[in-house]
Amino acid sequence: MADPLKLYRFLLKFYPARFREEYGTPLEQQFRDEYGDAAGGLGRFAFWARTLRDLAISIPLELLRELRQDLSYSIRIYSRRPLVTILAVTALALAIGATTGVFSVVNALLLRSLPFRAPERMLQLRNAFVVSGSAEFHAWRSRSAYLEDAAVYDQAEMNLSGASLATRVKVTETSYNFFSMVGSQPEIGRSFAQGEDVAGKNGVAVIGYGLWQQFFGGDPRVLGSTIHLNGTPLTVVGIARPGLDYPAKTAMWTPTVFDHQRLPKNGAIFWETVGHLKPGITLAQGESMFEAEAEQRLPGSMQQEGVNRPRLVPLREQLAGPVRRASLVLLGAVAFVLLIACANVANLLLSRVTERRKELVLRTALGASRARLVQQLITESVLLTCLSAAAGMLVANWAARLATVAQPAQLTVQNYTILDWHVLGFALGLAALTGFMFGVLPASLIGRLQPTEELVRGQPGNSRSRARSLRSVLVVVQVSLTLVLLGGSIVMGRSFLRMLGTDLGYRTDHVVTMSVSLAGTRHGTAGLRREYYREAIERLRKVPGVVAAGAINSLPLATAAFSADHFRLDSGRVVEPSTVMVATPGYFQAIGTSILFGRDFTSADRTAPEPVAIVNEEFARLSGEDQALVGKRVKAAWSESKPVIIVGIARSVHYNGPEHGVFPQLFLAAEQRSPSFMTFAARVRGRTEAYLPICRDAIQSVDRQVPVFNAKTLDDRLAETLARPRFYTTAVLFFGALGLLLAVIGVYGVASYSIIQRTHELGVRIAIGASAQRMRWMLLRQSLLPVAIGMAAGVAGAFGLGQFLQHLMDAAQGVDGLTSAIAAVVLAAIATVAVWSATQRILRLDPMQVLRAE
Amino acid sequence: MSRKDELTAQDLLPLPAAMFHMLLLLSEGERHGYALKREMAKRSGGRLNPGPGVLYGSINKMLEHGLIEESDERPVSHLDDERRRYYRITPFGRRVAKAEAVRMRELVEMAEANLGLPEPA
Repeated sequence: MADPLKLYRFLLKFYPARFREEYGTPLEQQFRDEYGDAAGGLGRFAFWARTLRDLAISIPLELLRELRQDLSYSIRIYSRRPLVTILAVTALALAIGATTGVFSVVNALLLRSLPFRAPERMLQLRNAFVVSGSAEFHAWRSRSAYLEDAAVYDQAEMNLSGASLATRVKVTETSYNFFSMVGSQPEIGRSFAQGEDVAGKNGVAVIGYGLWQQFFGGDPRVLGSTIHLNGTPLTVVGIARPGLDYPAKTAMWTPTVFDHQRLPKNGAIFWETVGHLKPGITLAQGESMFEAEAEQRLPGSMQQEGVNRPRLVPLREQLAGPVRRASLVLLGAVAFVLLIACANVANLLLSRVTERRKELVLRTALGASRARLVQQLITESVLLTCLSAAAGMLVANWAARLATVAQPAQLTVQNYTILDWHVLGFALGLAALTGFMFGVLPASLIGRLQPTEELVRGQPGNSRSRARSLRSVLVVVQVSLTLVLLGGSIVMGRSFLRMLGTDLGYRTDHVVTMSVSLAGTRHGTAGLRREYYREAIERLRKVPGVVAAGAINSLPLATAAFSADHFRLDSGRVVEPSTVMVATPGYFQAIGTSILFGRDFTSADRTAPEPVAIVNEEFARLSGEDQALVGKRVKAAWSESKPVIIVGIARSVHYNGPEHGVFPQLFLAAEQRSPSFMTFAARVRGRTEAYLPICRDAIQSVDRQVPVFNAKTLDDRLAETLARPRFYTTAVLFFGALGLLLAVIGVYGVASYSIIQRTHELGVRIAIGASAQRMRWMLLRQSLLPVAIGMAAGVAGAFGLGQFLQHLMDAAQGVDGLTSAIAAVVLAAIATVAVWSATQRILRLDPMQVLRAE
Repeated sequence: MSRKDELTAQDLLPLPAAMFHMLLLLSEGERHGYALKREMAKRSGGRLNPGPGVLYGSINKMLEHGLIEESDERPVSHLDDERRRYYRITPFGRRVAKAEAVRMRELVEMAEANLGLPEPA
């Protein structure tokens, strides 16, 4: 008999605590009776089957019922103190949301699987040795001791023209084996055939799924048809799988990487090599073999430092790039904030438990077991966490979207989203963990409830001085961390404001910009290109509302790479490497850069007897001639080209945005040399965005076959440039604000807790003549002591933070005395207000009532 | 604590069969849980034979709704088992049971009118 009952008792543990306590004995009794009635092996078997069925039905029912009761009780408890509830939910929602948001980025970049064959073995071979052509490359890869397979590619933007429309697409020129290497065969049609990457056979292309849908309307008849890339005819042989846009959002692949002349391009060619490590070879082994090979083929290359050194990089690391470190740092920081938030809300709820002591003691005295009360408290905390997690998902979604703008991922498959099982699981785990943390902490206090003693004395026991000092330590830690965060926020905020206030040397308001590329079009010669640009600018100027228009081959905030050269003056002096750009008349006026000395370009420059140029102030300063440079000649130091005469000096500009400085520039006249790529700029009156389609159409009307792309306002380009610093500033400001909120909750919690604990003492003091105001001052002093200690520690920490911030944002500076002072004053003021409002209840304290309660 | 002040008899209808049976049994006199179960099984010809979990779940619910209450009176000591709890019907429970019976009667009358039930034997 003992054993079956033991088993049944064990099964009864699955009932909720209250039901078990209430009916455990009659249930056992009935079990015993019925077990006795069931005779024989078969009877016992049937009895067990009935019993288990009964348990399976009734346990979930009772659990649900009790959950419903606990929940409605929890809602009543929370709605009694709405301020505390809102504070707790807000703090947790922000912390859970921010953590989940940052995690969604880390998940997308580092955890989500890549749509490639054996992605964990895929590598990028940085600065790999150059091979001369297809035959040499394929011979090399098939002989490789450490690579199973490899492909080489080069990327460029090109004009795609079909029957009627023209558009700008990202094209990857590859070796024929690219698709088999990444392990993604085309959805329709075929990939490149062996030997198709040699001149004469390479007139084929595979188009991306997205491009096929958008540009060709998803029509399968595009297979076998001819398209033109930069004017070169190619036959479409395949359509890639949906989601494949590697590398870097490619929309079209051609096997022309070894045939440089096949597709006319602007700018330099950078070959990239990707490969699969052979199975069984570790990354370290692969690295040493790669380095040995690099040293053998390019002697001295391994002695190079920085970006030029050959390196073997796992593809995932390559794709995550610079975002990786910042995201991990942010994740670490935000997880820390979350922990503090949890501890803090626990602290807050702990003081609530103390306030509810009487209720809990009474319930214990009436027979509620510890398990029952723990269950109630855990339900309360889980409810709070679920609410917070739900609100936190909104914050997370917002953070993920912000991150997408600030630091977009390289591939579509890496987009940051919270609608991902990893992310949702992470958020759920966080919610469960946090709920458990402050369910268990307050619950552990219940173990010390001594109902009889407390009911008799009406006074809590004396086991909590340790808890009180623990709270003070928590406040010290929290205040110091908050000060560090606040210091950081102020530094970041000030740097960012300074950035926004930087005089760029040009005006980004009321300017529309858009680009064209004439490579491979019918505007093949310098003369035809000049005519095209002249006509386009003319049409732009005729648009009503356009006040100035011009073009340049490298627009500020738009181009990352420039050509640069040394220039020699007549005097023999050589000016440092200066960027060389080509601009049309009207360009400086359009972007609002003033010509300080001399003159702007004019259409008459075309027939000028010698080439003319404009330099910027920085160039003039470095030349040592300043304004006297106007009228003098300079010559590219290492080139045979003719000297150019300087006709004007323009203001120096922050070319790459406010984060970056100015550098020497020399502008050549587009009237005299016409590059194949130009970006137009038009200054307009009125709402700038409205001019984008109008101006694009005006340029498009010059030649329908030349796509006009990247139509954006200059303000938008500036906003894109600032997106990353803005994101980090927002993140750190957010952590600072969150830290401040948590600090307020912490300080308030400790102050109100200590008042409740000392109600009796305070009542006695007031009864024997101390004024309530004096009591408040005393409590203020005592509560602010840990705040002061925390601030001292925080100032030290804040100074150390400077370097960390410089990692995140170039323009950020270290934390100075003023910043620390501002942070400390803000924190102290808010802490004082929190304590002062917590001590308000002393004013309502009626000493007679307190004493009578004895 | 109970919700009987907020609830009317109509709010609880229709009653689950087991609950109705238990109320009817308790209207005859006080009983403990196991006795309720045995009697219920007997009268329903074994069709209503709840296990202990379901039985005490129903008892719990009836207590909460104020349909029954625990009784302090005990039977003579040689018949009593200290561990057993006895229950009795409350006036509210009686009203609810009556309302349920009326509801069932109306249902039966409707069935008679529509289906033409045979006379009881």
